[in-house]
Amino acid sequence: MGLLDKLESFLGGKKKDFNILVIGLDNSGKSTVVNNLKPNDDRAININPTVGFNSEKVNFRNLNLSLFDMSGQSRYRNLWEHYYREADAIVFVIDSSDRMRFVVSNEELNDVLNHREIKDKKIPLLILANKKDAKGALNESGLRNELEINGIRGKQYEIFATDGLSGQGVNDAFEWLANELKKE
Amino acid sequence: MMGKKDSKKDDESGGSNPFRHLEKAAVLQETRTFNETPINAKKCCLILTKILYMINQGEHLAPTEATQAFFAMTKLFQSKDVMLRRMLYLCIKEMANIANDVIIVTSSLTKDMTGKEDIYRGPAIRALCRITDNTMLQSIERYMKQAIVDKSPSVSSAALVSSLHLMKQGPEVVKRWVNEVSEAVNSDNVMVQYHALGLLYQIKKNDKLAITKLVSKFSKSSLRSPFAYCFLIRVAARQLEEEKDGFDKTLFDFVESCLRHKSEMVIYEAASAIVSLRCTTSKELVSAIGVLQLLCNSPKPSLRYAAVKTLNKISISHPAAVTACNIDLENLITDQNRSIATLAITTLLKTGNESGVDRLMKQIATFMSEISDEFKIVVVEAIQSLCSKFPRKHNVMMTFLASMLREDGGFEYKKAIVNTIIVIIEENPEAREIGLSHLCEFIEDCEFLPLATRILHLLGREGPRTTTPAKYIRYIYNRVILESAEVRAAAVSALAKFGASSDDLLPSILVLLNRSKLDEDDEVRDRATFFYDILSQNDKALSSAYILNTLNVSPVSLERALLQYNQHVTEKPFDIKVVPTIEVEIHKPSGETLLPSSTKPTEKPTASRQDLYMEQLSAIPEFAHLGPLFKSSSPVELTEPETEYNVKCIKHTFTNYIVFQFDCLNTLNDQLLEDVVVKLDTADGYEIISYKQCAKLPYNTLGIAYTLVKIPDDPSQVVATFGCNMKFKVKDCDPNTGEPDNEEGYEDEYGLENVEINVSDHVQKVLKPNFGASWEEVGDANELEDTYALSMPSLEEAIKNIIQFMGLQPCERSERAPEGKNSHVLLLAGIYRGGHDVLVRAKLAFNDGGVAMQLTIRSSDSIVPQVIAQAVG
Repeated sequence: MGLLDKLESFLGGKKKDFNILVIGLDNSGKSTVVNNLKPNDDRAININPTVGFNSEKVNFRNLNLSLFDMSGQSRYRNLWEHYYREADAIVFVIDSSDRMRFVVSNEELNDVLNHREIKDKKIPLLILANKKDAKGALNESGLRNELEINGIRGKQYEIFATDGLSGQGVNDAFEWLANELKKE
Repeated sequence: MMGKKDSKKDDESGGSNPFRHLEKAAVLQETRTFNETPINAKKCCLILTKILYMINQGEHLAPTEATQAFFAMTKLFQSKDVMLRRMLYLCIKEMANIANDVIIVTSSLTKDMTGKEDIYRGPAIRALCRITDNTMLQSIERYMKQAIVDKSPSVSSAALVSSLHLMKQGPEVVKRWVNEVSEAVNSDNVMVQYHALGLLYQIKKNDKLAITKLVSKFSKSSLRSPFAYCFLIRVAARQLEEEKDGFDKTLFDFVESCLRHKSEMVIYEAASAIVSLRCTTSKELVSAIGVLQLLCNSPKPSLRYAAVKTLNKISISHPAAVTACNIDLENLITDQNRSIATLAITTLLKTGNESGVDRLMKQIATFMSEISDEFKIVVVEAIQSLCSKFPRKHNVMMTFLASMLREDGGFEYKKAIVNTIIVIIEENPEAREIGLSHLCEFIEDCEFLPLATRILHLLGREGPRTTTPAKYIRYIYNRVILESAEVRAAAVSALAKFGASSDDLLPSILVLLNRSKLDEDDEVRDRATFFYDILSQNDKALSSAYILNTLNVSPVSLERALLQYNQHVTEKPFDIKVVPTIEVEIHKPSGETLLPSSTKPTEKPTASRQDLYMEQLSAIPEFAHLGPLFKSSSPVELTEPETEYNVKCIKHTFTNYIVFQFDCLNTLNDQLLEDVVVKLDTADGYEIISYKQCAKLPYNTLGIAYTLVKIPDDPSQVVATFGCNMKFKVKDCDPNTGEPDNEEGYEDEYGLENVEINVSDHVQKVLKPNFGASWEEVGDANELEDTYALSMPSLEEAIKNIIQFMGLQPCERSERAPEGKNSHVLLLAGIYRGGHDVLVRAKLAFNDGGVAMQLTIRSSDSIVPQVIAQAVG
């Protein structure tokens, strides 16, 4: 932590702790992306389907991010809403090779954005087109067409193509998110 | 000044428990703190504590509010604070069954249980197993298997114990982990080994052979853990106890060998198991008792306590063996630990001889005030058994009990004392007066209503028979002035009994009752008015019937009869005789309370057996016209055990008819019986009216056939024997489905044993608390007197047989012959079919291998005495 930052926080400056909700369909790579954000020696080797949620703390660009990595399985999706109220940002992960379920992803995303806890909240939305290197993956602009995200109002949002396993693009994406959070 | 003092006191008591005034709504509001970032671990810990406190105090949380709090709690997984995390595990476990969707924390917990922090792993496993339901069990199976064989003992133990709990909901899944569990039994850690063995037993519990193998396997390969050894001994003991025919020598040898183990815990467990086993012989007992004797002298109080407690427990079943330890027990009397001393003294009291009683009682009196109620009850029980053993010592005991009554104590303790005094009074007439006076003194200042009413009832029954009944009146009337309504009502009833029994006291009693007629309580006033009017008639028969000997009907039947009566508009007055009399409860032997199995659940008042039969029979249209059921006999077997068909007979006596109920059981799985009927040979004037067949009797299902007979008009003809034959149609059938092979069956019959109708089938037992009064009430109008010579070896034998043949109820404890006396008066009472009172007085004298009996029978009917006399002849 630099001297300036310390001074800043001492003067009661900006908030540095953020709750980030990581959601998306099952097997879209949420836990893998989150795992990739952790320091090298802290990463898990095997990722199992999440039941319920996992909470991870990550320091990114001098921000303390609390990541709530939710389970994407259909029967647990109704549990997401318990965490909406405290969310400072939403990361929505999509498997860009799973073309069959773009519709489902779209529906779930819309449900989230129209939820009464989220609707009028000015929080950034980061959409990750994950598994970009997988066979049959749609690129970022193709996904933009596929999803009805042009209609999103009142929220800053951005789509990034990522690969959770290798970490490609993840840093850029969270860089954007960090900047959005710092703006507030 | 005073005010200041008070407020200070309030502060102090409030300070002792900071959570005393918690409000649910406020605490739930506080859970919002969990959502704040960063998390304030200390504050959140306190809130979790409050939640735990609330739940454990029995505060009810609705599912929605609990769920909300639970999801707020899940945010706390972000914090790395060790205290907070562990507190969180506790809270999750408590909320697991209250909140919805608790599986939300599954991944968080599995992460913790497989993580690097050892301090998290065990608790995480425990919490995880609590939130996991049957459907989720498979998803955590892999983690559980790993955890069971984990290197860290705390993790392995946690997984094993949690699995034990999971057995309740998903035994099938847990059974798949048997290899891991077996591996854990070989652990070097004593705790893990114990837990693993426990789980292994639970997994194999239902397979007897596997358990025997388990015990023999581990008894050879020596276990490290003494806990595991103790557990193995218990398993072996249970196995031995369950085996009916003969016992497994190897199992017993194993338990016996444990007596020489190096751990004291194991030695004690083995000794305790051996002495409690039913199959233990006196020879085997010796070595076990020897071990207990050794433990009695141990410097460790816990071992001394365990040993003396075990000796105390078996002092009734194996008194001789326990006497061997008398010297050691004597040493323990002065033990610093009062619990040990109490148990030692009571053991000695139970096994000792008459001469030592005084000394022991004096010893125990020195520290009665220092022991807890629970142990005081142990002492009281010991005194009770002593009194029945040494009736002559009742003076010492009574004084002791009385001084105990005067001290402070809880309800259970006081109840035990009062019960003991009552038992002594009932068993020993010499102790009656002194016992009653102690009880009188007790109710002068008794805070327990049930005890006060009980004692008043006893006073009413026993008081009038003492030499100076008048002295009890004052005690009873004091209750009328000073106590609450229940006690006043009981006191009024007791007073009335004195008035009914004694002519001298009657005028004073009438004055006292007259005063209570103005009581403010309805029940007390009603009772006083009722008794006053009856007593002012000065009619002995009336007071005997309505005050001294009250109704003997079961409340359930009475209620039903009254209800029925009210449903029909009728001019006829209600006839109490249609209500079946209740069967007198058989007195439990008083010694029974000392046996370890004495903790029977108190039964709620339910419909009696006869009420159930009544309901069954009245549902059959053929029997609707028979009138009220008078008596039902106990079932009699008409077949040898383990024959093809099993038939039991129950005789239902009505005023003019008898219904035989045949409970039939078909034990052949390849036969279906149809149209089953039990044919009777007509005998001795009885006329067979109708048969009601059992249409179908499949394998192993109870079927009922009835036969209705009319009792002869000649009232003296009551005894009869019927030949019985079961007739039916057989259809062979498939043993698996029970479907008959073809529609046509063949006729067959099966001979049964004879059914007898005895005098006892015509009478119902009735207990007359005051036999003398009833005797006068019935009068000598229909008296029959005769003398008989019975060839009976003893008075007891004669009494037993007379009661059995006549089927009457012994009154005033006359069924117990005094020891060492050659003569006795037996008093019996009952009701004859049709509602006639029967009273029997049998004066018995024993001499030279025979019993002479002078029998006097009184009844309200002229024929009945002859019939009853037939039973003896």
